[in-house]
Amino acid sequence: MISQRQTTHRLAAYAVFCVVILLVPLFVSDAYLLNKFARYIVFGILSLALSLSWGYAGILNLGQAVSFGLGSYCMAMALKLRTIPIQTGAGGLPDFMVWNNVHTLPWFWEPFHSYAFTLFAGLAVPAVIAFLIGWFIFRARVSGVYVAIITLAMLVVINLVIIDQQRYTGGFNGITDLTTFKLFGVEFGAYSVATYYLAAVILTLLLFLGLALMNSKTGLILQAIRDDETRVRYFGYDVANYQNFIFCVSAAVAGLAGMLYTLVMEFASPTFLAVPISLSIVIWCAVGGRASLLGAALGAIVVTGVQGSLSDSKTFLDTWMLIMGALFIVVVLFLPNGLISIGDVIRGRRQRRRRAAPARMPEHAEIAAPGRSAAR
Amino acid sequence: MSNEPILELRDVAVDFSGFRAINGLNLQVAKGELRCLIGPNGAGKTTALDVICGKVRARAGRITLMGQDITRLPEYKIARRGVGRKFQVPSVFRELTVRDNLEVAYCKRLGVFANVRRLGRSAERNDLEKLAELVGLEDVLDERAGYLSHGQTQWLEIALLLAQDSGIILLDEPTAGMTAQETMHTAKIVNALKGRHTLLVVEHDMAFVREISDIITVMHQGRVLAEGSASEIQGDPAVREAYLGQRGIAHA
Repeated sequence: MISQRQTTHRLAAYAVFCVVILLVPLFVSDAYLLNKFARYIVFGILSLALSLSWGYAGILNLGQAVSFGLGSYCMAMALKLRTIPIQTGAGGLPDFMVWNNVHTLPWFWEPFHSYAFTLFAGLAVPAVIAFLIGWFIFRARVSGVYVAIITLAMLVVINLVIIDQQRYTGGFNGITDLTTFKLFGVEFGAYSVATYYLAAVILTLLLFLGLALMNSKTGLILQAIRDDETRVRYFGYDVANYQNFIFCVSAAVAGLAGMLYTLVMEFASPTFLAVPISLSIVIWCAVGGRASLLGAALGAIVVTGVQGSLSDSKTFLDTWMLIMGALFIVVVLFLPNGLISIGDVIRGRRQRRRRAAPARMPEHAEIAAPGRSAAR
Repeated sequence: MSNEPILELRDVAVDFSGFRAINGLNLQVAKGELRCLIGPNGAGKTTALDVICGKVRARAGRITLMGQDITRLPEYKIARRGVGRKFQVPSVFRELTVRDNLEVAYCKRLGVFANVRRLGRSAERNDLEKLAELVGLEDVLDERAGYLSHGQTQWLEIALLLAQDSGIILLDEPTAGMTAQETMHTAKIVNALKGRHTLLVVEHDMAFVREISDIITVMHQGRVLAEGSASEIQGDPAVREAYLGQRGIAHA
């Protein structure tokens, strides 16, 4: 009965959020602002991706930016190859390759002439890399903080490789000067309403798909693994398989966010798969509520939104970092399950007060006290 | 009851960085039997369960389940062959509701992709609710397991084993921390499991052991010291010495 009502509440909250983000373009006509909002929504998708692995399965992936960056590069490569010939050097070769004395298009650039392949690769490349890393991590039963360390190290390595291979990746500069993505006759320019809608619709779909996944038995088992990985093994589940599955799904979603990010930013850069953004994702997730897909997405939008408006305003030019820091501390101290748990915390307070009045069986009081109820 | 052993340990040895927890352990359990493992602290009882379910690896010896070698299999494969385990420290999924705990334990299909498609995941809802009733948890089905009292957590663990429905159930001190009344209720449930399941129970509470067991195996210093009915065991001088010896040390 309780869970039934909670499920309805949760679905309603998700629906309201999706309607709101889909209605934004009706009220915002400023293209610059819309582009900014589209960026926040892409961060929301990225944060949702981490919530899948960290919030639901307890896998703290500090290398999430690898997937994000690779997705972004896939899209950028496809768009670069379609840039009008004047900018691309002889024979359609990307300009930076010409500057680096590369004379023929490298083999792994070839398939990016096709959009279908690009969209596939943007999901599959991050997923395959996650699968390989995950295979070693989870077979070896690495868990907890060590997963974070390994994934962080992976991130640094891949980041260095991309910067180092300037001839093929554009190095520090990344891949810039891109054409506009066009699919089914629709142009997805960075400042267009179409791109905003693309991001918002994808976030909406992912929220509900993610919710469905986490309400399936696989989702349940993942949450059980988060609670007590060893115990799950003695029920006959191959824990490593489950962990690697969600690790790959999370990577693919982050890759999707990366592809969108290239559309919104009009370039790909090694900073997209650098340590700062990877750590930011963790903060978004934690602030919003990592064990809730909506919470994680909301956390990213709120944090990057506040960050953006504070750093843009003259009054807070010097102090905005301080204010952000204070916000994080307040959330971590008073809402350990993130902003999304505000409702639960208030309800819990009220319940406790109500229960404090008439003396009841101690057993029930124990059951009802939601000391650290995790928002789900 | 057939005499052919369903579970057999032959000369099994387990080391913990030099310390020999089990040393040449031989044990045969027949199908449908309820075997109690007793012995002084440090006799290797829990380690014996651990080595059967794959939590620790045997350094030597062979463990066979229905004639098949399971000595080197990973835990989840041993579980799939029908070995369920209850740990000494109650381990339930604290963040999940009681219902979801049971749902996880009900593991007929184990693959990731088979389970992704199971959206409703409540085809066996009625069965699980009946199980909860059996152990008296029907009123707290939607509570998070972390909020259960100690007794309720123990019941939930037993319900998890019932949901898992393994052929062989390994129980490590199922009555730890229970009142006398709760202990007797547990004995009733355990007795009901006998026959359909094969049980291996580690227990200190002799009243409980007498209530449930057919054959008792006494372990001491990593090997079997004696085996027999409750009265045979109690009359065995070697057993007395083992327990007395321990008490002597404890009182020193």
